Amino acid sequence: MSKFSFRGGIHPLHDTHEGKDLTRNKPVRAYASKIVTIPMDMHIGAPSNPIVKKGEQVLLGQVIAEAVGGIGIPVHASVSGTVTDVSAKIMMRKVPSMCITIENNGLDEWIPLNPLGSVESADSTKIIQAIKAAGICGMGGACFPTHIKMSPPPDKQVDIIILNGAECETYLTADFRLMLEQPQKVVDGLRIAMRAMNVKRGLIGIEDNKPEAIDAIKKAAAGRDDIEVCTLKTKYPQGGEKQLIKALINKEVPAGGLPADAGAVVLNVATAAAIRDAVVEGMPLINRITTVTGKVKEPDNLLLPIGTLVNEAVEACGGYSQEPGKIFFGGSMTGICAPNEEASVTKANNGLVVFNEKEAIIPPEDNCIRCSRCIYACPVYLNPYAMKKAFDMDKMDVLENKLNVKECILCGACSYICPSHQYLTPAFKDAKDIIAARRVSK
Amino acid sequence: MKLHVSTGPHVLTREVTQTLMLDVLIALAPTTVAGVYLFGLRAVWVICVSVIAAMLSEYVWQKLMKQKASIKDLSAIVTGLILGLNLPSGVPLWMAALASAIAIILVKQLFGGIGNNFMNPAMFGRAFLLASWPARMTSFFLPERLLGNSQAAFGVDMISGATPLVPQKLGITLDIPLSDLLLGNIPGSIGEVCKIAILIGLVYMLVVKVISWHIPVFFVGSVALLSWLLGNDPLIAILSGGVLFGAVFMATDYATNPMQKIGHIIFGIGCGTMVVVIRKWGNYPEGVTYAILFMNCLTPLIDRLSSRRVYGMVKNHV
Repeated sequence: MSKFSFRGGIHPLHDTHEGKDLTRNKPVRAYASKIVTIPMDMHIGAPSNPIVKKGEQVLLGQVIAEAVGGIGIPVHASVSGTVTDVSAKIMMRKVPSMCITIENNGLDEWIPLNPLGSVESADSTKIIQAIKAAGICGMGGACFPTHIKMSPPPDKQVDIIILNGAECETYLTADFRLMLEQPQKVVDGLRIAMRAMNVKRGLIGIEDNKPEAIDAIKKAAAGRDDIEVCTLKTKYPQGGEKQLIKALINKEVPAGGLPADAGAVVLNVATAAAIRDAVVEGMPLINRITTVTGKVKEPDNLLLPIGTLVNEAVEACGGYSQEPGKIFFGGSMTGICAPNEEASVTKANNGLVVFNEKEAIIPPEDNCIRCSRCIYACPVYLNPYAMKKAFDMDKMDVLENKLNVKECILCGACSYICPSHQYLTPAFKDAKDIIAARRVSK
Repeated sequence: MKLHVSTGPHVLTREVTQTLMLDVLIALAPTTVAGVYLFGLRAVWVICVSVIAAMLSEYVWQKLMKQKASIKDLSAIVTGLILGLNLPSGVPLWMAALASAIAIILVKQLFGGIGNNFMNPAMFGRAFLLASWPARMTSFFLPERLLGNSQAAFGVDMISGATPLVPQKLGITLDIPLSDLLLGNIPGSIGEVCKIAILIGLVYMLVVKVISWHIPVFFVGSVALLSWLLGNDPLIAILSGGVLFGAVFMATDYATNPMQKIGHIIFGIGCGTMVVVIRKWGNYPEGVTYAILFMNCLTPLIDRLSSRRVYGMVKNHV
């Protein structure tokens, strides 16, 4: 069978099976955190507004912060217990985030849940509202509110929903375990999304390094001719939204446009499972599967309450196996570094990776030898070589207007492949930030 | 606890400049061995002198300029070796050393070291010798040890001569068996004569993905096509001079060829065309060196003009 793929890309950590062997065979284990610190700005959009006070008792699933603005989503208590703090803390962003801290009383008392109905019976006009009320945002890493994604502008015709089960990032096995252990939830989530958006075709893309997951999902989707399971070539960044759309339906998302412009909406498999739980069980998004791996004693796939702190997640895996030098959320290509051990797991964190001091050090830049590897690797066909030259000479206008740095998806492929360790992706991230800031100030 | 904080990626490929250069050295090994076998001890001296001179020039220059030593990236050895393989075995050793020093200091270091040179250093070193001592650079020893038994074209008593391109230029057709052309039973520079060895190196570099096939194929292909159109034997055109060695080991030099695939194709065709033009209408029987240097100079222009469509965009003009 032919495998779907895209042009460009790399094979990071290929000789160690993308670093996934550490946790590949570890079934998902639920862990009850003693304390959670939940940031209000986990999602893209206005931060949620806390509606609980210090000392208040909260139940599992209770709304603790309201959605603000059209894009915002509410935040729910991920443990039952006492609110011990509502204050701004340094989390994963440059500026402090408003956070609600809850101490778990271990009683697991839920608020009453109001399911919308089964996969077939749920009122399709109310599904998107239920998704917003459940506080669901993209769980693959971007954390874009799902109800917005599923409400494209009326002039865009969406005729396909793509579930992203590629999990191309290194080290992560969270989506793999989800697809393997709960394939029906994933498929049901897709069916619900298709009903809500009145879309007749669903695709589930999975990389060929996860044959067990492909089998499980195929079995769960058996007999449904509106859902197709597609095998993707294992290549990074296969799970990038634009790359996935190109690979599966051979269309390109126009520059500056939305996937809906290509007639598609892409959801992560974990998001699909959360949609199913929200509609069928009435459960808000309060926990997620996170791969905790690297230099921890027992790397594992944990079902963690949102807001679990780094040190507790590591403790749940037997503690550090070596002195940590770097801890990041996500895989090793795009993972975001935790500034300290008090940072917490958000709705988007599919992984938590611990590196030792030696692994943490990025070697200094050598002279570029013009080998062209960055150009061949770029999955959006940019010219990282020329972009870095322009950045080093502070030519932001050239970067913006001629070299199209804003189309860079910051996947890290060029930096990874560079034999002289040029800091390509960090430079492009800076450039994008500078250009965005300039536009705001204009 | 102090944690490092950086923008991703947090892992890097193990392939670095040094490993790439090592791959090039491995690819040059068959050619080197064949050259030494064919031309004997004299070839060993030429190769050793140019390699050591290249390393020494780089080391001393960087010491004097108080720069970080880059000898470990092996690029000076590659330059020295390619230069040595590009010289006739009878060349005086001081000339080999001088060419190496010029290649490393004048062409590479003065422009900012590895990656910043705009001309292929080894090529320039050879061109320098060719312009300064043309007679010594174009009288080649016939291999000491001939592979196979066919020596018809040159005669047994001949100890030095020109490459088969000279008679071709004069309109004389030599009847050299194909096996002699492939094995290297012809006069020429140390590394360029044994085509089989060069092809082994090419296959190695393609397999380990040090180079892509575009430049060698378009270079050699355009030489063959244009020579044939001009009424010459395309096989002789490819196999008798330095085309194959140049196309495989010198035109593929990262620093001095274009960055994009379309650029590689233009560069390859340009090199091939220049070779044929120089051979046909120039003063020299051979034109590989000048063809590659000429195209090196056009590389920034080719880079500037070659662009590719960015994902999700209509064709953009840079």
